[in-house]
Amino acid sequence: MKNFQASAVERRITVTHDFASHPMEAGWASEAIFFIIVEEVSGAQATLETSVEISADGINWIDEGTSFAAIHSPGHYAAKVSHFGNWLRVHGKITGTNPAFKLSVHLHLKG
Amino acid sequence: MKHVLALDGALSKFKPLQTIISYDDFDRGLCGWIDLHPNYVGENFNTLRYSHVDKTQWGPIMLSSASFRFAGTHGSMDGTYSMKLSTRPVAGKYTKAPVPGSLSHGIKRLTTHLPKGLRQFEMWYAYTPEQDRQGLSEQAMRAFGMFFDIQDDDYRYFIGARYLNAVDGQMVRKWQVFQAKDVSDLEWAYGVENDWCKRGIDAMWYGKRRQDGSTDGFEWIPEGYQDLCYNESDDKINWSYFRLLIDTEKREYVELQSGSTVFDLRGMKPTLTAPYARIKGLFNPGVWVENDTDRRVFFYIDSIVISGGDE
Repeated sequence: MKNFQASAVERRITVTHDFASHPMEAGWASEAIFFIIVEEVSGAQATLETSVEISADGINWIDEGTSFAAIHSPGHYAAKVSHFGNWLRVHGKITGTNPAFKLSVHLHLKG
Repeated sequence: MKHVLALDGALSKFKPLQTIISYDDFDRGLCGWIDLHPNYVGENFNTLRYSHVDKTQWGPIMLSSASFRFAGTHGSMDGTYSMKLSTRPVAGKYTKAPVPGSLSHGIKRLTTHLPKGLRQFEMWYAYTPEQDRQGLSEQAMRAFGMFFDIQDDDYRYFIGARYLNAVDGQMVRKWQVFQAKDVSDLEWAYGVENDWCKRGIDAMWYGKRRQDGSTDGFEWIPEGYQDLCYNESDDKINWSYFRLLIDTEKREYVELQSGSTVFDLRGMKPTLTAPYARIKGLFNPGVWVENDTDRRVFFYIDSIVISGGDE
């Protein structure tokens, strides 16, 4: 039977500037899905552009190549990754006028 | 019926009581351990009551290979994976209530099935701050600890121990046990009326803290100073042994073993609180770690054995 963990890596945080999620170790897993759950959005032309990042050490991060479509409104969004070594996080860029997103980042790992 | 069991050889580094309640080797997964979070039972899945301590942001637990930039993978004591508790890179002064994210906390939710008597928690663990800057950072670890959250027919009580490693950058290195000072529920919850937590509950973050390391929630263990093995670099971790023996019949501490040192705790008692609704029989083990500066600190557990009955 495979192992599985669903982790609420970031729980209902409000972000107004670029941010990164908590570094998670995932070396045991062979597949991952990041979920971004947006509950509230405010500001004009508020846009959240999020990409998956990997790392050699959990401290220095580089782009993995997987990105979410731009987010403008509340909802559930997901991105899949399957080749990532040990470390995983998402990095979000926020643009707009006085933008704010109340969101959670969940990571589902299986392997 | 007589049972004949072939025990896992990895159990030989533990000395469990007669009945093993759970044996968690984190090479097999998280074994029921989960992040601690508040009760999302209010409107729109929010909490019902305000608390001065924000328990929604404690750092997440994960299965870790204990991998580092220069060292590579440490692995665990018996394989590759341990359970890692990881704080977020935020901290407050010791004398303030812990800020959101400055702790990480794991809990396993059980109920009791044995007659009252001896219970024991054993683990092999290691700890280190994130190696995100040069130097040696032992003082970035404020504290770690373990407890049982128990509710029997008459009382709820927290019974456990904390290693206070450092206070605002100054090394302390002393053991304490859960035991509340004679304060009101209001003082315990930082002045918040009608908080969930009554005196004695959740001493990990409730109860006034003082600069000398004492708090309203903990009592020093006599001659409780102990140098633990931290090693000479933040990416070198050493697996260490912890054992807490309690008596749920007498509702008192029996023994704490850390490494080869045994502290006799007989006669020391936890603080008894009126029972809460719907948690009769509760027998939750918990572990946590707290940082002392604005950086992540990590607490790794290779394996845990919880046992009960005769020695």
